[in-house]
Amino acid sequence: MADLGVMALLLGMALSTYSVVGSVVGVKTGMPALVVSARRALYMTMVTAFVASGALIAAFVQNEFTIKYVAEHSNSVMDRAFVWVAFYSGNEGSLLYIVLALSIMSALAIWFAPRRMERSMPWTIAVLAVVQLFYFFVLIFFASPFELLDVIPEEGRGINPLLTHPGMFSHPPMLMGGLIAITIPFAFASGALISGNYGDDWVDVARVSAILAWGVLGAGMLIGAWWAYTILGWGGYWGWDPIENVALMPWLVLTAFIHSIMVQKRRGMFRMWNVALLNIAFVLAQLGMFINRGGPVVSVHSFASSALGIIFLSFMLLSLLFAFGLFLWRMPQLKSDRAMESFMSREAAFLVNNFLFLAVMGVTLWGVVFPLFSDLARDVSVSVSAPYFDRANGPILLGIVLMMGVGPLLPWRKSSARSLRRWFAWPLVIAVIVVVVLVALGVKRPIAILSFGVVAFVAASIMEEWWRGTVARHRSGDKWARAWWRLVNGNRPRHGGYIVHLSILMLGLGIIGTNFYQQRTDGALALGESLVIDNYRIEYVDSDSSSRPDRIAQWAEMSIYRIDPADYATEISLARAQGSDSFRLKDSTRRPNDRLIDQIQPWHGFYPDFNMASVRSGIRSTIVEDLYVIPRDFLSDGRISIAVSINPLAWWLWASGPFFILGTMVALWPQPAVERRPVRTEKQIRALATGDL
Amino acid sequence: MASRFPFIVIGPRALSVRPAAVLLASTMIAIFAVATGCIREDDLTLEQRAHQLYSQLMCPVCDAQTIDGSNAPIAQSMRLKVRELLDDGKTNSEIKEYFVLRSPEGEAILAAPEGGGFNLLAWIVPFFITFGGIGIALLTIRNLRRSNARSAEFAAAGSGSATDQNDLAKYLAQVDRDLGISPIPAAGKAGPGTPSPDEKADS
Repeated sequence: MADLGVMALLLGMALSTYSVVGSVVGVKTGMPALVVSARRALYMTMVTAFVASGALIAAFVQNEFTIKYVAEHSNSVMDRAFVWVAFYSGNEGSLLYIVLALSIMSALAIWFAPRRMERSMPWTIAVLAVVQLFYFFVLIFFASPFELLDVIPEEGRGINPLLTHPGMFSHPPMLMGGLIAITIPFAFASGALISGNYGDDWVDVARVSAILAWGVLGAGMLIGAWWAYTILGWGGYWGWDPIENVALMPWLVLTAFIHSIMVQKRRGMFRMWNVALLNIAFVLAQLGMFINRGGPVVSVHSFASSALGIIFLSFMLLSLLFAFGLFLWRMPQLKSDRAMESFMSREAAFLVNNFLFLAVMGVTLWGVVFPLFSDLARDVSVSVSAPYFDRANGPILLGIVLMMGVGPLLPWRKSSARSLRRWFAWPLVIAVIVVVVLVALGVKRPIAILSFGVVAFVAASIMEEWWRGTVARHRSGDKWARAWWRLVNGNRPRHGGYIVHLSILMLGLGIIGTNFYQQRTDGALALGESLVIDNYRIEYVDSDSSSRPDRIAQWAEMSIYRIDPADYATEISLARAQGSDSFRLKDSTRRPNDRLIDQIQPWHGFYPDFNMASVRSGIRSTIVEDLYVIPRDFLSDGRISIAVSINPLAWWLWASGPFFILGTMVALWPQPAVERRPVRTEKQIRALATGDL
Repeated sequence: MASRFPFIVIGPRALSVRPAAVLLASTMIAIFAVATGCIREDDLTLEQRAHQLYSQLMCPVCDAQTIDGSNAPIAQSMRLKVRELLDDGKTNSEIKEYFVLRSPEGEAILAAPEGGGFNLLAWIVPFFITFGGIGIALLTIRNLRRSNARSAEFAAAGSGSATDQNDLAKYLAQVDRDLGISPIPAAGKAGPGTPSPDEKADS
């Protein structure tokens, strides 16, 4: 299998080289046949990537421990379903996965690119092939997954236990796929620029491929957050870790891009700006690859001991030079068709929103590199972690959410005072009502209340538009549901966008709730003891354990009771006096108003081969709040050490996922039939014209 | 903050650069101001302060994790120490200082850079990025508005930079349109073909 894999990789490298050279030479010397063969060569690289990946997967399935990568990332007792995860769980395999994903996406992109792109396609293909060539090159010379071992081990090391979670079947491939997918819109834009095809022909394909990359990357991050929440056992879901940041940054820039590309599509403006955004997104994606593989900053995600840093850094700098060199070269040709008419217009709002996205990106990048600056400038190490990013980015993110309500309500070009009043009055009233109600209810934390007000404003603005559109269609005879559906169908990019906006609001609710109102405590419980926090009593009822070749697992059975604080008044005041929000009860006899509401089984596993622990938290989730119990350790005296948190509105974080995907799909769905109706082939039209049907 | 703005508009032209800029800037400043000054130590129980501190101290043996999330023994003992110092009546900044002075990592034990001097840069630069960004956006809009008339002339005259390729693209687009292939008419030329909810009645 190793030989087959290596051969496939070599062939892939040769083919992508041919594709670059063929495209460029073919188009320069005017040899269409060469250009066509270069394109076919790029299709063939997909086949070689498939063969190489198939070879590695087959080696995993057959437990070929002669191959170093297989021996280090799997063993014979491992559940076979995890072969897919093992495939990309290490540095080398993940690079192979990236080549596979890129070659499939490139082939699809070339195949589906519209005819009118024909003139710039050779250049687009050359750009795609260069990126593929780079990854083939790294795979062959620096990080071969098919390296053989001199001494064949009896058994493999097994898969990293942290990766044995359903989320891992999709999170890493989606993130890596999403990052590398940014190459596609970048290649279309670059191809158009190099060939001097300055029109807006590339806009549609770039928009569709950018939304795909953006959707995959976004969903991948969300799944990663869910994985962190349910398995990593630290109670959080987003740690502003350097690797998380480098995935977030290109996503933010893509978000800006898919908004401002609409301005180019509708108004012929922002051409330079859109090209620049794609360039930044692509370079940031390469920065992500660099930091992930031997970059200069520590992270929980990096592939350990990867010495590829310098190679990826060089490639990143090359892409930076290429992208912006090209941009500067072609800048004079990228003028807008039309000028801005008013500050109170959607294009103006989109521009402000774009800069806010770039601001979050810039602040995040600053936070990532600041430790390096500090090291260089004064030789003092500092850490820049979650508390910094929360504070520095939080306000800008709130500003973005606010713009999410403002932008779509503004019409293109300019707006009248009447339209502003008409569209903004209700959302503002509702936002004010929400704030007043929250204050009246005695909710604390002014920022959080302000944020809830902003979320309400945006939600109301979306509902208002749906309501008015639906009512108008209902009046003309449609039933309610059908009227709404026709409204959405009539302009899918817009209303798909609204669905995504709603999902972002749900995410926002979860972020506000968990960041501002989380309650935490920790303690150790013996069997039969309880921990009381807020309105919950958590009773440690039972424990069990099992031993498998690869792990020692222990889990606890815990009952959750809803309590009436009045029953526990003495204990509560005692705890308060000691500065605690929670207390331990030795005697778990039920008090009158205790009500059993749930059972949880926090689970703790230790993997001796990896010297690594993995936990599954016990979570009771409702739409109001999650009760979250992390089993930190099973102590030798039979007690269990737990960390408990109450995470308000955490449910909404995960509920946003389906809406995010749904909205993205609605926005991407090809234009409805109504608009396509007049499509006829040239032949048909001629036939119609000559009356010869 | 934003709540006032539809009502102060007298006419579409009335809202020129300044009010819009002032509005955005003051919104952001208000948010920043509240953000930095909202949680006071006295309002919190010792336990809440302990958890706050856990998330502000890095675990020395872990990669980019705070002691809050770490199961490492050193993180556990650091958590105990934090609680102990809190019980002794120490303030948050005293406790952080304690760890900075005693750990070999020095300042890197803090999850975010603190204090004056060079570390201030970490906090000032975001302000410049944000307000600089918004400023550039507003200036761009203003410049684009100024060049309104001129560029309209250029567009009408079929601008000087138009090469054969551009003409070809236009011609092809025209052919597409005549054949009815183009899903969207070239923006603005004749407005959208079908009335879409996108174009508000008032515009």
